[in-house]
Amino acid sequence: MNPADLVPVADMIPVPWGWFQFFLILTFMLHLLLMNVMVGGGIIALFNHLRNPAQPSPLVRDLSRKFPTTIAIAVNFGVAPLLFLQVLYGHFMYVSSVLMAVYWLSVVGMLIVAYYSAYFYNMRFDALAEDAPKVLGLSVVLLMMIGFVFSNNMTLMLNPQKWTAYFDHAGGTMLNLCDPTLFPRYLHFMTASLAIGGLAIALLNLYRKKKGDPDADRLIKQGMSWFSFATAGQIVLGIIFLTVLPSEVRTLFLGGSVWHTSLLIFGISGAVLLLFFGFKKMVLSTTVLTGLIVLVMVLIRDLVRRAYLAPYFSTSDLQVASVTQYLLLLLFVVVLLLGFGVMFYVLKLGHEAFCQEGEVRP
Amino acid sequence: MNYPGWELSFAGGGLLIAMIAIVHVYVSHFAIGGGLFLVLTEMKGHRENSAAILDYVKKHTKFFLLLTMVFGAMTGVGIWFTISLLNPGATSTLIHNFVFAWAIEWVFFLGEIVSLLVYYYTFGRMEKNKHLLVGWIYFIFAWLSLFAINGIICFMLTPGAWLETGNFWDGFFNPSFWPALFYRTFLALMLAGLYGFVTSTRIKDHELRESMVRYCALWLLAPFFFFLASANWYINVLPEHVREVIFVRSPEMVRYIKTFALVSPVIFFGGLVMAIGLPARVKKPLAYLLLLIGLVYMGSFEFIREGGRKPFVIYGHTYSNNVSPLKVEQIRETGILSSAKWVKNKVITDENRLEAGRELFNLTCLPCHSVGGPINDIVPLTAMFKERALEFKIKRLDKSPYMPPFAGTEQEGKALAAYIFQELQGNK
Ligand code: HEC
Repeated sequence: MNPADLVPVADMIPVPWGWFQFFLILTFMLHLLLMNVMVGGGIIALFNHLRNPAQPSPLVRDLSRKFPTTIAIAVNFGVAPLLFLQVLYGHFMYVSSVLMAVYWLSVVGMLIVAYYSAYFYNMRFDALAEDAPKVLGLSVVLLMMIGFVFSNNMTLMLNPQKWTAYFDHAGGTMLNLCDPTLFPRYLHFMTASLAIGGLAIALLNLYRKKKGDPDADRLIKQGMSWFSFATAGQIVLGIIFLTVLPSEVRTLFLGGSVWHTSLLIFGISGAVLLLFFGFKKMVLSTTVLTGLIVLVMVLIRDLVRRAYLAPYFSTSDLQVASVTQYLLLLLFVVVLLLGFGVMFYVLKLGHEAFCQEGEVRP
Repeated sequence: MNYPGWELSFAGGGLLIAMIAIVHVYVSHFAIGGGLFLVLTEMKGHRENSAAILDYVKKHTKFFLLLTMVFGAMTGVGIWFTISLLNPGATSTLIHNFVFAWAIEWVFFLGEIVSLLVYYYTFGRMEKNKHLLVGWIYFIFAWLSLFAINGIICFMLTPGAWLETGNFWDGFFNPSFWPALFYRTFLALMLAGLYGFVTSTRIKDHELRESMVRYCALWLLAPFFFFLASANWYINVLPEHVREVIFVRSPEMVRYIKTFALVSPVIFFGGLVMAIGLPARVKKPLAYLLLLIGLVYMGSFEFIREGGRKPFVIYGHTYSNNVSPLKVEQIRETGILSSAKWVKNKVITDENRLEAGRELFNLTCLPCHSVGGPINDIVPLTAMFKERALEFKIKRLDKSPYMPPFAGTEQEGKALAAYIFQELQGNK
């Protein structure tokens, strides 16, 4: 059976694909950073809590308060890229989702349990005493499992030649475990979480330092060393990931295409520079450069996807429907801007309320 | 015919989506009405200068946050996951036509989260008017997200002029949009009262408890007749053929309609009983009981609404088994197996007849019929048929208005009948 025959026919799109591509990259990048803060913050809290379960440090208590909120926001920011991904690549992603339906649907259950455990951990922090790390651990492990399911789906959708296995397993229990890129890719994301989680801690404490918090300096150091060691690991993992990519894809990044190759060189040299900033504990420069490098990595990831799918599909194949929806596109942008304005105002009110009490917003 | 089918057997026939959708809808409507309940009750506390009421609102907010933001929001994501697994083709149609409505809804959803978290964490710390403002902003975001999603849900049942024009606005503001919006808004207000019972019956102080429970009863009872009126309006805007499927020709609908009709007065009197003076030890379990009855109540309405859409996922546009009505004639010529992408047995032979029958069953029947499961089990439904009678039945499946026509060839119909008769019924 020819895998190309299995690829479903795509639906028409209401405005040209470039718009969706733009929103996909933008919202995915935000989701990625928030997801990193969520998972990384969780792991760092767990690590510190396990080191001293009897008397958890103030950092642990602090992270425990923020953990549920990071889940709320990270999940919300996941909705948008998933939407735009379906517009452009739905005919690949629905297929891979059906093939692994059982695991894919279990994401919802795992998420609910992880989320409630996060709240439970926070609200019963003292009462749970030495059991607290178990509750946190459950939440973190579930979140990491969700990430693993996502990595499976995002790689399975790129590999129509593996789809024929459906004819022997129609019950939705496939995974993409034999794919050599799966684990390097997954670990690449998880290690990024440690880095970004550490950076978030450093940033928060930089702000507190300005407010005169005596403990802040130590925590900035701690956050930055998580960042730096994780980034060092990231460079190694990234190279392993590159070597296991299928050769048609890899060669594009190793000289086969100027654009692919320059982006990769830019990304890797940026990461090396980040190591320098990180070990020097330059929080703000690290943050700015990290934003840029994460964007580059997101673009590289997109190019990898395009290279994988090149034999089957390119987004420029998508046809624009005869009734276009530019007005709605505009409406979305307006609602987005107004909505963010209102949210900013609400956050400002919240911030002021806490500042009057001399505390930092949870 | 474009996508692979998830072979669910026992959980087929829409069991998964029914389970997840009903609990989601029950909590997400609370997320809207309950938001208004929070601000109005907070205002009441300020007006009556009662620290005890404010304290109650604060506790209720925590309950509200944990229920709606975690369970409500995550099951919402769950519905989305589920429909894309069960009906990828139709999901793709919805996504590609309404992507901007969904994107806008996402902004509202984010607004809800941000304002609810600020509302919760600043309770008692923020200046009164500002805090109320944040509460109002939450409610407005929540109601707007209902507004956005309501258009898409109603579209599936009554796509209206969209079928001809393909125009977004025709599809969004479709014939059942307004009645459904009112229906859902009133429902949301009632649920605020129903969930309010759960927390207000736990208030320690006797007098305050009585007065807050009565206040919640008012939330439940005041919108009740408007709710019924809008449900009636809703039913009346449905096209004739949809109403016929619901009220006249569907054997399985009867029990949901009966449940809805029976439970209406029960909920109403339940609300009245809560309003009279009873000891807390009676009211507490009664609150939970009413909440459960409410779930059955609303679940039955959702079942009726979903049932009315049969045999379509998107009325007039896509059958529940992902076939377009326009394509039926064409597929009858070429055959399902050769038109569908995801089948192994493209041509029926003597050896693969039963195997091919299974694929035909999975493609065309499993979306509505389970095998041995609780929803629309095919096994008892076909028990009295002999193989020849089944062949005959399959050829004229759409004589039952809740089923789509069988789009296959003569030979495919026979293979399907053989599979049902020999494999599912076990007549070797
Ligand atoms: C749109 C959903 C839907 C699809 C698709 C569907 N059915 Fe049905 N079917 C129903 C409903 C609803 C009933 C009524 C169940 C009841 O009586 O409780 C039913 C009843 C039946 C009955 C009992 C006789 C009758 O007419 O009520 C048979 C036999 C049957 N289906 C066979 C099939 C076969 C074979 C297929 C696949 C080719 C199929 N159905 C596809 C919804 C569907």
